[in-house]
Amino acid sequence: MTKSVLVVDDEPNILLSLEYLMKRAGYVVRLARDGDEALASVLETPPDLVLLDINIPKRNGYEVCQSIRSNPALKNVRILMVTAKGREVEIEKGMALGADGYATKPFSTKELAERVAQLLNGTGA
Amino acid sequence: MLESLSLRVRLFLFFALIAAAVPVLLGGGLWLAAQRLEGNPTPHLLLFGGAAGFALIGVVIWVWQMFDLNVAKPIQSIVRDLQTIMHANPEHEIAKEQGRYLGLLNPVVREVADAFATARRDVGQEIERATRSVEEQRLQLEAILRELNEGVIVCNSNHRILLYNRRALQILGVKEEMGLGRPLFSILNQQPFILTMDRLASRYLEGRHVGHSEHLMTNLVFAKTDGSLILEGRMNLIVDDADKSISGYVLTFDDVTAELKELIKSDRLMRATLEELRHPVASLRAAVEMLADIPDNDQEGRRAFQNVLSEEAMRLSNELEKFGSEYRAIVTSQWPMSDVHSGNLLNALTRRFRDDESIFCDVTGEPIWLRCDSTTVVALLDHIIRKALTELDANTFLLSACTSQNHTYIEITWTGGVASPAMLERWLADPIERGMGLTGTEILEHHKSEAWCEPVEDGKARVRIPLLLPQAAHTASLSTAPLPIRLEFYDFNLLKSADLGAVADRKLRDLTYVVFDSETTGLEPSNGDEIIQIAGVRILNGRILTGEAFDQLVDPGRRVPPLATRITGISQEMVNGQPKITDVLPRFHDYVGDAVLVAHNAAFDMKFLQLKQDQCNLRFDNPVLDTVLLSAIVHDHTNQHTLDAVAERFSIEIPPETRHTALGDSLATAGVLLKLIDLLEVHNIRTLGEAIEASNKIVEIRRRQAKY
Repeated sequence: MTKSVLVVDDEPNILLSLEYLMKRAGYVVRLARDGDEALASVLETPPDLVLLDINIPKRNGYEVCQSIRSNPALKNVRILMVTAKGREVEIEKGMALGADGYATKPFSTKELAERVAQLLNGTGA
Repeated sequence: MLESLSLRVRLFLFFALIAAAVPVLLGGGLWLAAQRLEGNPTPHLLLFGGAAGFALIGVVIWVWQMFDLNVAKPIQSIVRDLQTIMHANPEHEIAKEQGRYLGLLNPVVREVADAFATARRDVGQEIERATRSVEEQRLQLEAILRELNEGVIVCNSNHRILLYNRRALQILGVKEEMGLGRPLFSILNQQPFILTMDRLASRYLEGRHVGHSEHLMTNLVFAKTDGSLILEGRMNLIVDDADKSISGYVLTFDDVTAELKELIKSDRLMRATLEELRHPVASLRAAVEMLADIPDNDQEGRRAFQNVLSEEAMRLSNELEKFGSEYRAIVTSQWPMSDVHSGNLLNALTRRFRDDESIFCDVTGEPIWLRCDSTTVVALLDHIIRKALTELDANTFLLSACTSQNHTYIEITWTGGVASPAMLERWLADPIERGMGLTGTEILEHHKSEAWCEPVEDGKARVRIPLLLPQAAHTASLSTAPLPIRLEFYDFNLLKSADLGAVADRKLRDLTYVVFDSETTGLEPSNGDEIIQIAGVRILNGRILTGEAFDQLVDPGRRVPPLATRITGISQEMVNGQPKITDVLPRFHDYVGDAVLVAHNAAFDMKFLQLKQDQCNLRFDNPVLDTVLLSAIVHDHTNQHTLDAVAERFSIEIPPETRHTALGDSLATAGVLLKLIDLLEVHNIRTLGEAIEASNKIVEIRRRQAKY
């Protein structure tokens, strides 16, 4: 069955590239531009993976992450955090709140696609 | 000559004269009469004249006695009473019956005495009130000076130091050179001060300071005489408006050497990065614009430009990454932080909740060393616990600390719900009580940190706050085994040995003390244990002179055992290269002078000093007071006389990072001593001799108790 990915970011330009990247990798792609939209989308149809930026309007990425993790029905959703801050403590906070991995902006699209694939095949940590 | 005799004697002499005149005049008169009388009248004259003479003398004596009893004596005792009232006790009462036969003298004198007593009382109260307010202001000023994060030095117009704060010593990195009355220019370069003071002086003398935006203040940059520090400060003139003269100035300053360096570094980084970013951005922009122009069929040309795009994008990424990590390294050093032992930090926090029955708060796990600003971090943790109590109904909190490769962590674990990121963010958005006006988020930002709350096993939640690793190597292993408490042991001769002489009668309040503490490699001086740190503070006129403290690490000439490092935080590395005890003790001896030595469990510290004094050719024969014993005198209801227990009874807070440092413990003991002196007065112990005698009694009681 085709895996689905929800891409959450409020920057339209990066959203364009990420959408293209994920589609090319063969996933069903949905987009969200803020925290509320992301959470609604996840609750409606849980995706297999969320590419989650931390600095998004309404609810920040930490909150979305923690909300997903506190819902047992969503325990199979993988979360890959994308952050522009890149400080170690922020990454650690994301991981502590339930993210499965992280990538710092700017990132290599090739590596990002690989990370997503790993997480979806259950081989990534 | 008569005036120098007392009133009673003068009256007596007066009546004695009359009494003496009676036989002379009477005898003379009768003798003349006998010459002129016929017959033989002599026996009659003798008989009657003699009888009349004796009766007269009797009357004179009786009148004298009446006078003595009812006039001279009462006058004398009223005079004595008045003297008492004038010189000793204004409240002294003059008896009503005194001088009953002296008319209005008694009531008038009593009235005058009353008026005098009232006036004295009023003046006394006025003086007391004024003294109290001066004292309060002085304490406030001292507290402010102490807390100020800027150096403060006050000088007179000859540039001699009148006052300075601890921060000034720290910034300038001086100890012995700084002292009251010393010239400022033995430490600082004089040129800027002379120029600046001239400028301010002429501004004042010409009256230009009125309406001047900086009034009598101006900025100046100056340096240490050895050129090692550049400092930036403000000079504020102190003037005497009455006679238009300059009495001195206040200098506040900060070390900007490091800040300047950081500023230069970040400026350089900014410029370099800007320049380096221009290259990849220029290449990218040019390549993109070219790509738009190249015809679709020129495959080779397109590929070339696409290569440029991916190469330059990569370069831009890398530049950014490099800039990010270099920039973070610069900003980290801005907020003042120190290495803190987590046990001290967390225990200070639990103490805040001890009286609060709605909260149970305890420390668990292995203690570690971490680096933070302990004041704001304790305030932050306090705030989080109170929020969890009110908003999540949690009431049992466990505090712990742990360390990873890159960070240390403080953890608060409670039984109850998890605080969501939004909730935690809300908690941290408020200004925090005792957090120096900062919000929780700001405190975290200063520590380059983030906080989060995560669920842990058994339905518990845990807040984690990453902090920095300690800067100094605190190498010893830190375990939770209870630390041995310093044994109290007494050398009975110790307190008696000094021949006190006249000092014994001096009031405890008026004496000069040096309160000291030493840290050692162990508890057995006679078994090779050595001093590794010694510190002292002076108390003069009931004030702790924190600015003139003695504080010195000592190379013990042997290994520092891990246990000692654990208790004191002093490691082998820290004592390597420090002076030996034979160099330090003479300096300490000079510092002590003829002050009374005071220590908590003084026998312990004195034992070490006395074992070493012969090597140094010195004698510490000063009088010694022990705050353990003094505490036992005034608080005989308990046997808890550890420094922590005593300090707590007097609400003297020992900052966690200074507990078990020689200076920190000396300061705490000094605070304790001042409180003890107040209480000893209640027990009628006012002089040094009395205090030592009472101490000896306690020692004797303890010795007897020890026998059973």
